[in-house]
Amino acid sequence: MITLDQVSKSFQNNSGEFKAIDAVTFTIQDHERFGIIGESGAGKSTLLRFINALETPDEGAVMVDGKNIHQLNKSALRLYQKQVAMIFQEFNLLNNKTVEENIRLPLELHAYPETIPMETVLDFVGLRDKRGQYPKDLSGGQKQRVGIARALITRPKILLCDEPTSALDLGTTKEIVDVLKKAHDTFGMTIVLVTHELEVIKELCTRAAILENGMLTDVIKIEPPKNKKSYSSYRKRALEVLSHGSD
Amino acid sequence: MDPTDQLLSERIQEYAPRLMESLAESGIMMGFAIVAAIVFGLPLGTLLFLTASGKPMENSWLYQMANIFVNIVRSFPFLLLVIAMQPAIRLLYGRATGDPIAASFPMMLIAIVLYARFVEQSLLDVPRGVIETAQSMGATLPQLVWKFLYVEARSSLIIGFTTAFVSLISYSTIMGVVGGGGIGDFAIRYGYQRYETDVMYVAIIFIIIFVELIQKLGLNLARKIDKR
Repeated sequence: MITLDQVSKSFQNNSGEFKAIDAVTFTIQDHERFGIIGESGAGKSTLLRFINALETPDEGAVMVDGKNIHQLNKSALRLYQKQVAMIFQEFNLLNNKTVEENIRLPLELHAYPETIPMETVLDFVGLRDKRGQYPKDLSGGQKQRVGIARALITRPKILLCDEPTSALDLGTTKEIVDVLKKAHDTFGMTIVLVTHELEVIKELCTRAAILENGMLTDVIKIEPPKNKKSYSSYRKRALEVLSHGSD
Repeated sequence: MDPTDQLLSERIQEYAPRLMESLAESGIMMGFAIVAAIVFGLPLGTLLFLTASGKPMENSWLYQMANIFVNIVRSFPFLLLVIAMQPAIRLLYGRATGDPIAASFPMMLIAIVLYARFVEQSLLDVPRGVIETAQSMGATLPQLVWKFLYVEARSSLIIGFTTAFVSLISYSTIMGVVGGGGIGDFAIRYGYQRYETDVMYVAIIFIIIFVELIQKLGLNLARKIDKR
């Protein structure tokens, strides 16, 4: 269980200090698919980075399974970080490594008790035939699938997703959402997803926290989509936005 | 034998041993400088990158110390650096003039700071997301450097090394001032001071060929390993 308890964080910018996160509290249950939504600059990514200790709150605590992760010593923190994987908006692949080498990267850093075999993970994300290629030869969706495979290979307990579909078109977004759902169904990890795309949240998450100017406004339960095809096609969305309906 | 050919043959026989000796002296100086660049310049450049503001080991005191050291050494006109280092070289090596090993000390120092700046610049070009990824995976500092930064910056590191190498060839040509010898000294002594311009041009051609070779080799290697 992940609990953010009254966490706050301020940053310096040109006009002085501003509060990016202001006394935010919520809990994420084990195996949950939890979303954090809000507009740009609302503090979503900062909250996500609290959970894997990339950022430290100025005040408050981030408790994971009863332990304040920001008070762990170096080796305990590293042990904790082994259980947390992250995927990024810009994929963050190493461009000088092949698909397979990128996926294997976490295994070169730590010894993991239980990992997923390379063949299985490649099949899982549908990249078996791309294993020897370099990121420059892949599409955005394929790069993100490499990112997901790199995260899954260590069988993480928590998967953090920082705007994983924001750089992708609608069709590819759906593919990525499907892969994440399948990963959750298969491996049962907790997923924490940060995005401003409401459709992605609706499709993937069961609860979500809404942030506004660094403050938590609501934690809502999300109704699963009634219609299996509720995920908008590009055409449907374009019609909705541009002409309020099809003629 | 044609009289021109005979003259050429005599010139080659006369100067070839000295030319070879000069090339060997240049080789010694360059060898020491290159090793110093890799062994000390690479870590110093990495330290400059890591300790800068907003970087994983941010430490303004350490950064300023390293930065000032690099700037001071690079600010010296090289000839003055060679002269200024004489007492220190004498203390360390026993003699400061008259052989290529003594002459290697200033070469090593300039190689270290020159390459350190190239390394720093190469690492600054690595996308920020790479560091973030390493940190999110709980990478240690050595892992961050070896498995992420150097991997992504490798072609740039090689181009920087090649550029530093070519500059070092140029620096080595004035080491004759302290009796270090080398191909540059050979060109000046025989070609310029004894008015034997043909000898000078032969030496210059050797330097040009060497620079071209190194440049081509470095660029080809950098291109080959760059998969970005």
